[in-house]
Amino acid sequence: MQEEDPISVALKEEQVSPNEAPRLSVLQWFRTNLFSNWANAILTILGTLAAFLMLRGVLNFVFSENREWVAVRTNLRALMTLSYPESQYVRVWVALGFVVGLAGLSAGIWSNWGGLPLRRLATWFMGVGGLIALCVVVREPSVIIGTDGKVVRTIEGSPQRESFMDAMVDRSGWWIAAVILLAVGAVLWSRFSSPVRRRGPRAELSITSVVFVGIGLVILSLWVVPYGHYAFVDGTYIAESGTTVAFSTQMPWTVMWVILGLTFLVGRFLRSSRYVGMAKTGSNLLWLICPFALFWVVLRDPALDYGHVMSTDLPMGLAFGLLGGAVLWLLTRSDIGEIGRITATALLVFAVFNWVAAFFGWYPMLQKARISFLLLALAALLAPNFIGDTAKRRQLVLGWLGVMALVHYLATMINTPSTVDLQSDEFLGGLGLTLFVAVIVVILSFPLGVLLALGRTSKFPIFRMLSTSYIEVIRGVPLISVLIFFSVMVPLFLPDGMELAELAAVLTGYTLFSAAYLAENVRGGLQSITKGQYEAADAIGLTAAQRTGFIVLPQALTVSIPQLVGQVISSFKETSLLAIIGLFDFLRVANSVIPAQSEFMGVKREGILVVAMIYFFFNFIISKYSQRLERRVGLGER
Amino acid sequence: MATNSPPSIHHERPPLYRDVTVVKWVVQIVALLLTLGALWFLANQAGDNLRASNVPTDYDFLSVNPGIDLSSGIDTDPDTGGRALWVGMVNTLRMAVAGILVATILGVIVGLARLSNNWLLKKIGTVFVETLRNVPLLVQILFYGAVFASLDRVTADVGPINGWLHISNKGLSMPRAHIADGFYQWAVVLLIGLVVANFLRKRRIAQQDATGEETYPILSAFGLMVVVAIIGWFIHPIFGFIGNIFEALSSLVSSVPETVLQLVIGALCVGSSAYWIRGFLNSRRTPAGLAKLTDDDYFRMIFAAVGGVIGAVFFLVLWPGLSSWMINSASDLFEVLGNKFGNGRSGRPLDVDLPNIVQTGKFPNYGPSGLNFSIGFAAVFFGVVFYTAAFVAEIVRGGILAVPKGQTEAAASLGLRRSTALRRVIIPQALRVMLPPLGNQYLNLTKNTSLAIAVGYSDIVQVGQTVYNQTGKTLPVVSIWMFFYLSCSLSISVIVNFFNVRMKIVER
Repeated sequence: MQEEDPISVALKEEQVSPNEAPRLSVLQWFRTNLFSNWANAILTILGTLAAFLMLRGVLNFVFSENREWVAVRTNLRALMTLSYPESQYVRVWVALGFVVGLAGLSAGIWSNWGGLPLRRLATWFMGVGGLIALCVVVREPSVIIGTDGKVVRTIEGSPQRESFMDAMVDRSGWWIAAVILLAVGAVLWSRFSSPVRRRGPRAELSITSVVFVGIGLVILSLWVVPYGHYAFVDGTYIAESGTTVAFSTQMPWTVMWVILGLTFLVGRFLRSSRYVGMAKTGSNLLWLICPFALFWVVLRDPALDYGHVMSTDLPMGLAFGLLGGAVLWLLTRSDIGEIGRITATALLVFAVFNWVAAFFGWYPMLQKARISFLLLALAALLAPNFIGDTAKRRQLVLGWLGVMALVHYLATMINTPSTVDLQSDEFLGGLGLTLFVAVIVVILSFPLGVLLALGRTSKFPIFRMLSTSYIEVIRGVPLISVLIFFSVMVPLFLPDGMELAELAAVLTGYTLFSAAYLAENVRGGLQSITKGQYEAADAIGLTAAQRTGFIVLPQALTVSIPQLVGQVISSFKETSLLAIIGLFDFLRVANSVIPAQSEFMGVKREGILVVAMIYFFFNFIISKYSQRLERRVGLGER
Repeated sequence: MATNSPPSIHHERPPLYRDVTVVKWVVQIVALLLTLGALWFLANQAGDNLRASNVPTDYDFLSVNPGIDLSSGIDTDPDTGGRALWVGMVNTLRMAVAGILVATILGVIVGLARLSNNWLLKKIGTVFVETLRNVPLLVQILFYGAVFASLDRVTADVGPINGWLHISNKGLSMPRAHIADGFYQWAVVLLIGLVVANFLRKRRIAQQDATGEETYPILSAFGLMVVVAIIGWFIHPIFGFIGNIFEALSSLVSSVPETVLQLVIGALCVGSSAYWIRGFLNSRRTPAGLAKLTDDDYFRMIFAAVGGVIGAVFFLVLWPGLSSWMINSASDLFEVLGNKFGNGRSGRPLDVDLPNIVQTGKFPNYGPSGLNFSIGFAAVFFGVVFYTAAFVAEIVRGGILAVPKGQTEAAASLGLRRSTALRRVIIPQALRVMLPPLGNQYLNLTKNTSLAIAVGYSDIVQVGQTVYNQTGKTLPVVSIWMFFYLSCSLSISVIVNFFNVRMKIVER
């Protein structure tokens, strides 16, 4: 790597080598870290004051008697999926279970998270315990609620607050929690405080088991604590205290937890077995497919018309699979020579022409056939790379069959109407929609971004010009204008008879936007590949496609992993813009749907705060993971 | 390549479909034609569809009264669509400039706090950065908007300092310093002062370098500026004559015949492509004469020539209105400038107004005399400032960490004081690293102001949306957005690049 951004290098190095501070007593620690000189002392005092006021403000805001958290609790389901019908809710759980299982499997196969020293766990316990104790003291005493359920007010009209001592007694539950945490932390600390492993391997816990047990504890608490009430049933909101969130979700969540554990064990088993390569490829493929399959197949429950399937869909899929496979088998013969290229080019021209014809409406053809022809042309272009022994040729043909099966299956499912009875036009709203859009955009913009980056660094001046102008124009305008453009203008661009749902239009726009940014990240990686790599590839006689695919791109993508993860985070953050252009993502639910309900008129801040916390949770985890990854990549180089 | 192969080897061109150069260019030209064709097709389609729904794509709405009210800006009740969009642009720029200034200051403070050896400050900085950059900006803006909307109502006497500062659910109102009558004449004085002060500074520096004694170049230049500004405050009316110069320029420009400008534009197109080709040929010239040109080079030159001719034809035949538009707007601009300098103006250059509260209808509201920030403005402002400051803080921290420790130690061993070392050694080197990503953040901030649409602050996107909802002219409005944001991006990158070049290490 020669040209890396010096700032990220500096930040990375700081993380890799935190200066191992000498052990200090508490007093010494205070003196060196807080009161080293008078300026520092003043800063410390001012900082303490600011932190104190900030914490107090936040706590008073969150626990104020004016907060209507009940609005969020009642609308939890709306925040997650909006109007997905109650009767079909099991589909959501199945989809979630699939993702959880896949996550467990991948964690089992790939993860190597290492250990968590008990000493650090002890500091966490003590830190959280201390923070709770601090919060309990800092928060102002609660207002007194009279016997009529109303706030007792003083003569001036301001609410009357209980005395400090009463408040402390009222919050005894929190005190007990804080003391327990502090005690556990202190015990752990005193036994494992030496960084040297005094007691052998037990001084460290594996992070995986800590995470697993932590999640388990949260889920188990659903069986003990009856968390808030809710419900959105058939368009009406039910706020009975009997139907708690905990009651209706404890079973599914426990199942999720068990799935997570089991799939993790399966992954671990596969990892040490000889099928590990296959398992890795398989789990990656499943990750790629699952957002599409879960959204269009599981959640929509398409009503298949078996007559149509038998008469049209299945024969077509079979025909494309078998005939295409035969063509590819022929094209990979070792004596194919020039004919292979000519055939592939002819196929490509034909496939592109089909799309042009579709736009002008010259002749009818099923969309699936157009897609299949295009894929066949691409496979034929790749075919020269697979010329050789039977095993290689079989690889290509089998891959083709798999792609065809998948494409035709998904296309059939997507085109079949859904049986799920929906409350609104939106198929899935809330957090589900947000996650779906984020994942789809990341998956789809990746190949496009790589292509654009290759175009921008290519030796072909027109390609370079086209990709550069595309990237710069897109990067010059804000996302919201692109989204508005697509949601308003796409219907105008399409010829008569063609339609695109708003979600699809927005997804297209968002993908095109995201691809331009991704291209810049990939370009950074491409520029770090030295000239020698290109020359070496040329010297051993690789074609341009082979050089790019097997030599340049793998190295370039590895180098740009941190930037790519950053791009994933910002893509996820920017899904919040869907709320502006009228899709019901969970920000929109919090900002417009809840405040419009008659019980919770104008209650906005609570919902937005919850949305902010959910976004923070996801982004924080991803960014911490990316820092880990970066450190690992960085360490590998040294 | 042919030049390297020994002459004994039988060399002939491969068949056409295997000739790398031919295939390469055929593929590229086909791709270009396909792209252009697709764009043409889409534009055509949109035109047809718009005509079918009786919304022709033109820019007439710019001069028609849109009948909309804006929530804030220099003109809340614009006469024309163009004026409304202009107000939106000014609002966006206002937000962007204010945001960039404050976000930079805040970001530097937080970044330095994260580097300090005070544990508490470090932690506060970390919490600030981690929280704000992991929560989407739109969520933050909506939250701030909701919080501000729950403030108290405006009453006759409200705010921390009645008569000076008011805070309520209508926003913030405070004293406003604004440009008054004689500002432009005063600005001429300032400009002259700036030139003189710069001259003084250079002379002082030269003196210091020559004699070694401290001459305080910056301080004396600054002092001179202040003196000039104070004198100019009283004598500025004497520059009223500049108005006449601009008037004369205006009539001069409007007397330029359109055909001449038209031909000049066409000639510029052809000339620039000719210039490029000349430069290209020059770059291939070696001391031993012109290098052998490859087919690729010929293709490039042909392409440039064709591009120049197409550009000329486009401006001469397809868009003949351009020259009259250019002449008219230049003449208008000079006339406006002439008016600003007009002879009759002799008032103070700057003025300050205190905020007032007026009773319009049922509820009291902020009057126009103070500097009023609506809650929309406040929400967007705090949103972009906090969000960007978190990123700026990381850039500052990284930039300073990127300066090798040896530099600090070397400065100390030379006997420089810590403040001098920071000013002369550390910060210049850190700035060099920080500038490019900082420029990127400024760009992002400018684009992020477009989220104002969510809280109803009248920036260009919000105004544009209102305008096209009224008139149905979506495509023209979107094209104006694109043009505006692209020019913003371009100007910011030009500015950042200017500093970047100045900061570059001068290498041997």
